[in-house]
Amino acid sequence: MVVATDIRNLADEEVMQLVGEGDPRAFELLYDRHGGAAFSLAYRMVGNRVTAEDITQEGFLSIWRSRLRYDASRGSVRTWVLGIVHNRAVDTLRRGAVHERRRETMEGVEESHEAPERTDVEAIRREEARSVRSALDALPDDQRRTIELAYFGGFSHSQIAELLDEPIGTVKGRMRLGLDKLRRQLSEGFAAGGFA
Amino acid sequence: MSSRDHTSHRDDVGAYLLGALTDLERQAFERHLAGCPECRDEVERLRPAAAALPRSVEQVKPPPGLKASLMEVVEREARERSGTPAPRRWRRSLPRLAFPRPLLVGVALALGLLVGIVVADEDPRTEVASVDERRVPGASARLQIEDDGENGAILRLQGMRQLELGRVYQAWVERDGEIVPAPTFEVGRDGRGAVAIPDDLSDADAVMVTRERRGGARAPSERPLLVVRL
Repeated sequence: MVVATDIRNLADEEVMQLVGEGDPRAFELLYDRHGGAAFSLAYRMVGNRVTAEDITQEGFLSIWRSRLRYDASRGSVRTWVLGIVHNRAVDTLRRGAVHERRRETMEGVEESHEAPERTDVEAIRREEARSVRSALDALPDDQRRTIELAYFGGFSHSQIAELLDEPIGTVKGRMRLGLDKLRRQLSEGFAAGGFA
Repeated sequence: MSSRDHTSHRDDVGAYLLGALTDLERQAFERHLAGCPECRDEVERLRPAAAALPRSVEQVKPPPGLKASLMEVVEREARERSGTPAPRRWRRSLPRLAFPRPLLVGVALALGLLVGIVVADEDPRTEVASVDERRVPGASARLQIEDDGENGAILRLQGMRQLELGRVYQAWVERDGEIVPAPTFEVGRDGRGAVAIPDDLSDADAVMVTRERRGGARAPSERPLLVVRL
């Protein structure tokens, strides 16, 4: 059991333990720390705020309701939360629900605005984002495009092969090679494990 | 594991980490991973690169209503698990919105057609809502008012329909011809729900409920489904 006078001083891993015990305040803290990044990822993937809200809400409620177990061996709590939201967004994209929503509402891009840099943590994350984007931009175009179609577009390898008119083996190879190059680029710029 | 099996799965590592395998392919790959240390090592070696991808995203601010609606669900479910009643919520400042007079007249006229009764109890006072029975047949609601309304109230509803994904109920407070937004809420599968109204209701004229987009609205988008006159 986690005992603390101020829950806000707890590390993410300890917060997750309290969430697992059904503590709403711990859950609120989890959202405060990672809800913005989760919403931003969903918004980047689906392109409208309404669907991004739904995905973020469903992702966080699934953590709350099923007491999903955080596995520290798979990386940080942030990576884990973003993984859950990513999976939800991929499901949504593959169901085609987003296209339906886009017909219903054209809002989204015009409403988008960057969150203000309020804290040092946010400033560091913004810098981190710039660095990862630079590393992605440095990949050969075919590898970067394949990775972006898969991760942000929610396309399967066979769909990408069809879109690009390339053999499936080529697409899979680009994914692996692209990730390998990205890993090397990032390890040159950041301490090992900085993204885990 | 055969070397042929390994060869056929080796190139799946990238697609696996990017979520680009189908469910069946992913399950097959995970079965392969369980018996293939080489592929496991490769997955772990490349995992940080895949984990960095969401961090490349431009940060956008989530709507404040997202957290509010999420926490309403979480707090309600936590109370249901523990069997404790809803706590009194802190009063919060809400933007006061001008509400068009003609629309108010329309709302008042529409409410004249509603079926409803009002009863009063001693401390805490309870008011029964007038319900638009055409739009929410079988629904009922009671507003439990604390301390003459200075510390807000709790609206309890039953017989309500669960709304589709992305839609929520929203409470409103009417005062001197203005309608200000109050919290959004959802109802359970049994049609029951509750929402704490944190406003000072001592000089309020009515509490209403409409259906809105998740996250809430700044002005009602439809005629009220139910109204509690104060």
